[in-house]
Amino acid sequence: MFEVRKDEPEYAFIPNVETPQKNQYGKEIQLVDESDALAGQSLNINGDSGVGDNPNRYKQHGFHFTADNCIGCHACEAACSEKNQLPAHISFRSVGYVEGGSYPAYKRMNISMACNHCDDPVCLKGCPTRAYTKFAEYGAVLQDPEICFGCGYCTWVCPYNAPQLDPVQGQVSKCNMCVDRLEVGLKPACASACLGGALDFGLIETTPENREQAKTKIPGFPSPEITNPNIRFQQVKTLPREMTRTDTMPLRYQRDEQGEGEYKPKAALKDTPREWNLPKLRSREDPLVLFTLISQGVVGAFALLFLGPLLGLDLLSADNNPVTVGVLLLLMVALQGFALVISTMHLGKPHRFYRAFNNLKYSPVSREVASLAVFFTLFMGYVFFSFFSLPFLHPGFSEGLKYVCGVGALVSGPVFIYAMHKIYRIQARPFWNHWQVLTSFFGSTLTLGSLLVGLVFAVGLAAQGESFAPLLTVLAVPMTLGLVLESVGLLAHSRDLDKAGGEGAAAHIQQRTVFGNTYYSRNVGLAVSITLVALLGLVGLDGLPGLLAWTLVGALIIATSLVGRALFYVLVIPTTMPGAFFWRNQGFQEHARESGLAEMPQVGVLPQTDYHHQQMERARREVKEDISRLKQLGVKACLSALRVNVQQRLQEAFSRG
Amino acid sequence: MLFGRAKKNPIKLPAHDVVEWKYTTCGYCSTGCSIEVGLNHKGEAVTGRGVGGADVNRGKLCIKGIFEHELFHSAGRGNKPLIREKIFDDFRETSWDETLDKTAAEIKRIQATYGRDSFAIVSTGQILTEEFYTLGKLARGCIGTNNYDGNTTLCMASAVSGYKRSFGSDGPPGCYDDFNHTDCLIAWGSNLPEQHPIIYWRMREAREKRKFPLIVVDPRVTMLAQFADMHLPITPGTDVVLLNALAHVILAEGLEDRDYIKANCSDFDAFSDLVKQYDPVTASKICGIDEDTIRNVARLYAKANAAMSIWTMGINQSTHGSDGVVGINSLNLITGNIGKPGGTSLSITGQCNAMGTREWSSCSGLPGYRLLEKEQDREEIASFWGIDPEFFPKKRGMAQTDIFPAIETGQIKGLWLIGTNPMTSMPNTARIRKTLERLEFLVVQDAYADVETNEYSHVYFPTGLWAEKNGVMTNTERRVNLISNVIDPPGESKPDLWIFNQMARRFENGQKIKFPETASEVFDEMRELSKGRFLDISGMDHEKIEQQRGIQWPMTEDAETGSPRVYSDGKFNHADGKAKLIPLPFIDNNEIPDEDYPFWLNSGRVVEHFHTRTRTGKIGNQNKFSPTPYMEMNPDAAKELGIEHMSYARLASRRGDAVVLVQLTQRVPRNMVFIPFHFHECVNRVSLGLLDPHSRQPAFKQCAIRVEAVAQQEAAAVVNRAARTF
Repeated sequence: MFEVRKDEPEYAFIPNVETPQKNQYGKEIQLVDESDALAGQSLNINGDSGVGDNPNRYKQHGFHFTADNCIGCHACEAACSEKNQLPAHISFRSVGYVEGGSYPAYKRMNISMACNHCDDPVCLKGCPTRAYTKFAEYGAVLQDPEICFGCGYCTWVCPYNAPQLDPVQGQVSKCNMCVDRLEVGLKPACASACLGGALDFGLIETTPENREQAKTKIPGFPSPEITNPNIRFQQVKTLPREMTRTDTMPLRYQRDEQGEGEYKPKAALKDTPREWNLPKLRSREDPLVLFTLISQGVVGAFALLFLGPLLGLDLLSADNNPVTVGVLLLLMVALQGFALVISTMHLGKPHRFYRAFNNLKYSPVSREVASLAVFFTLFMGYVFFSFFSLPFLHPGFSEGLKYVCGVGALVSGPVFIYAMHKIYRIQARPFWNHWQVLTSFFGSTLTLGSLLVGLVFAVGLAAQGESFAPLLTVLAVPMTLGLVLESVGLLAHSRDLDKAGGEGAAAHIQQRTVFGNTYYSRNVGLAVSITLVALLGLVGLDGLPGLLAWTLVGALIIATSLVGRALFYVLVIPTTMPGAFFWRNQGFQEHARESGLAEMPQVGVLPQTDYHHQQMERARREVKEDISRLKQLGVKACLSALRVNVQQRLQEAFSRG
Repeated sequence: MLFGRAKKNPIKLPAHDVVEWKYTTCGYCSTGCSIEVGLNHKGEAVTGRGVGGADVNRGKLCIKGIFEHELFHSAGRGNKPLIREKIFDDFRETSWDETLDKTAAEIKRIQATYGRDSFAIVSTGQILTEEFYTLGKLARGCIGTNNYDGNTTLCMASAVSGYKRSFGSDGPPGCYDDFNHTDCLIAWGSNLPEQHPIIYWRMREAREKRKFPLIVVDPRVTMLAQFADMHLPITPGTDVVLLNALAHVILAEGLEDRDYIKANCSDFDAFSDLVKQYDPVTASKICGIDEDTIRNVARLYAKANAAMSIWTMGINQSTHGSDGVVGINSLNLITGNIGKPGGTSLSITGQCNAMGTREWSSCSGLPGYRLLEKEQDREEIASFWGIDPEFFPKKRGMAQTDIFPAIETGQIKGLWLIGTNPMTSMPNTARIRKTLERLEFLVVQDAYADVETNEYSHVYFPTGLWAEKNGVMTNTERRVNLISNVIDPPGESKPDLWIFNQMARRFENGQKIKFPETASEVFDEMRELSKGRFLDISGMDHEKIEQQRGIQWPMTEDAETGSPRVYSDGKFNHADGKAKLIPLPFIDNNEIPDEDYPFWLNSGRVVEHFHTRTRTGKIGNQNKFSPTPYMEMNPDAAKELGIEHMSYARLASRRGDAVVLVQLTQRVPRNMVFIPFHFHECVNRVSLGLLDPHSRQPAFKQCAIRVEAVAQQEAAAVVNRAARTF
């Protein structure tokens, strides 16, 4: 148990006070009964099997923050980082600020924020590996970095920037509520360290001594509706009508005079010129740009290839064009295989990829990966039976299996694309949270799929001296449809973002300024693509001129797709907390990397954005360790362990409501 | 468990594996927080925490204290003595004997060639009191130079000088407990949340329990100013005018404490005559605070049962620093607010042991607040040490800020710097570089080999820091607290006490004077010398100090404990036993912004850093909050100049130029910029630092500069990066 000192000051203890039955979101504060099977169990912290004597062990706890009082002294952040032994570039708790007014009627409001141990922990639901657990003890949402495989999805879904992805370690870690301190009745280290009378901690819905408010909102704090966070605020002092951020996130907060006086996020007022900023299109998510586009293209191409002959497009059948179809299938396998590899390598711990299936019940990532696995397996089956038939059996049997695989892949492909789109429907990322993602993904499926099929066949047919124009005329239809679908989505997206305001609108302003030239060029590219595809389809250009024209159009489509998808990733502005001038300021982080300041570890900015090499080293080491452990265990023991494990997983999946 | 894994995995939390906690006191600012350092089974310092039962901090620590244990293995520490012939040579690692012999020989050579005072010593506010006392013994008793000072001249000299002028002696009269009793608090140029977070916490806790008005005088909207009931955004350098005007209103409206003045103050008439000239209307035109506010504050302060003032560098670091302190003292004297609970004039000190150096280092006189100018004091010390009193000069020599110009012009040829970094800390860096180049011999004694001033040294002494040593320090409220030796200094670095003792042996008088080996024996000498004096510590010893988590002097031999306040009986330390009310005529000698240099340059601290960052710049979890210098600038002013947020701008003054990253904020007025002073090659490349006539403290916070947009941002980033070696 955590050591309580003889001279432990009074303020460090959690007051044992009455709570209401339910919290402001209508949830029970008592999480389980004392008689529940979950009660009375040890948290097993660092091998300690003791059970804490905190009388309110099964009640939801949370932070109370008096925003009027925070002085931004970093004591909470420091106490947290010291206790959790965090390197400078990681912090579970961060203080940022918003400011407003003009000298000397100036106000700065500092906000200290960590994990809010939400009633509805979107991190837990989003995590594909089930590294997260919401405990009956204190309602703490704890994350196990050992289980985490570093996909970073929790950092996308959390509105408060609580989970911290460490690119060096290739894993996420976060605030653990100092459950070791709670077990002995002490407040977490941060709250005990507060010097401004701002940060406090206790049973949720209880107001600390001398405090009179327990609001769920303050300016700069994302809407509590997303996750029902367990933090309450006091903020009674009048703030200027408009509060701005010092970090480079282009947001400001404006009081809604017509409404309840709440502060709403708005795009920052900056006269930023329209620029290209092409190098800034590159990001950590580059592999996802390729993964999504390739997968969509492959799913689309397969559907065409499978459905085409059934719908009378005989040219696409393997009987008529065995070589071209074969080449196309192999190309698709190569492309999808490549996409799989890069998306796996994008993980912090690629060798733990199999954990992606751990949270089928809640995680859109697990579902995407599962549907991808199904599609890819069936697709591979289809490819296999296209080239081989099973020995000793009637050839019809293999043909049947091929057909079954084909139908399966035809169905699971779009399911996979749909599941993929669900990943991005995140409330904490308003720029993404729009049906445009669906039209874009299915648009690309149609466009890139038909483009892939069209180009391969055009080359194949041309090589045989045959005409390909009729085929492409047909393929121009889904191609155009896809492009139109994409365009319609984008139009609606742009209209809705402006209307909705907030982080989405801010991202859209960035889109039209910082990336303005790029964005408008992409839009022009889309329009030109639609026109050219339709035109070429109608004209039916054949031979070398046709081949050249279609290649050019194809290049244009691929370029616009790449730029469009890259914009999609780099533009998103999360509903995150305001940063400070240096700490948690993306603008400074970029500057520190460019100027070389980041080479000094004490600057707290990692010099690189990518630590692929270290992660591969680790993967190699851990796989080696795993193999030697398995060797020691022996095959039989391994299999039985696996069986037990799978059984447990299944039981869990079906037992929880 | 409500969601997530049915089979709970054990929870792993980082743990420090502490087997022993050792008591010590923080070595950064002079709040004087008690810290326990946790050692693991290997004896490594792995964590730290505030001592729950210590009155000062009651379990709390600020960011610097929280990470202080990381200093023991921070980058840039020196672990071998270094030597070189010329400053352009590379350093050579060598033995203590060689460096000590060489230094002693050079001191003797320089003194023999150019005179006894041509070798100067400038120390610090960071080493332990026993070390200060020993250094004083060495400097005054063995080396015998009169040009011996501490870098406290850069921070607390004005407070010392003001206290001496008003009360007849140094020594802050109040304590933190006064916050619990006061009915009105004025903070003059003091930003507690950033500079002294724990004192802020004590003040805020008191104010939450018992609301009292807080008035903040500061040209910048600091966090404290924002939380104040009244914020007086004063024109830089005009505090004395505001103080005179407050006194004017109090006297004009008959709000003064006449009985107190009559019984305990002298020179009332001259004082009263002068403040008559500073009616609120006249004053408002100079200090920028309107007449109604002046009257309001004066009445509030005078009518409060107990009123107190605190101040920091906003007062001390100005051309009227000493006068400002005197003015604050006078304000408290005429309202009867000295030495009573909640009524005091309390300087909030900067360095952890600035008080220790003031009390015991002999740098402005002789140990125990004794003066070189007093024959009796010289004789007492000479006989205690066993030397001829004639060895002592009869008048104090130069202050740090006069020593440097004397090096520049060749009167001083050799210098020993102890725990101070003038290359970053003193105004006008270009001039300091030129000055240091002129030295025939420079010794730098510091825990960090990468301290910037080492660029110009011939010999470097690596020292232990903070709890690698043993001894006491005195905090802002006169509390003597213990630094226990938690771990040993790294490599061959040594405690400063050891170095002074070794050096003493190499001088003639060093053979005669006793130089005890241990800090507690040194403390015994100080205790003996303090008997019956204002700063009596004769009731203390190291053990008692630790038991009581620090004791406030005076504590006489038979007393149970110390004294929270002094002057409570109205008896002051001037010969007549009275406090002096001193008239303060105001002459505006500041470099005021003009057409060529239209901005005030203001400077100050940030909470995560200490002084020149030799320590805090190494600790990532502190340094990351301001890893590179920045400038707060008003967005309206920036717009006119085409300067953008998070871009580099160029500063130019009559001294030089610098580049700095711009942070636009309405925290500063349109004609002022604010730059943290901690960073090498930044603010002090342009600062002026006119000297206060009494304290010789530089006016760091007032000078005029120009700000220019920089077209070549990459080039500016390169310039800035080059100056950031840590």
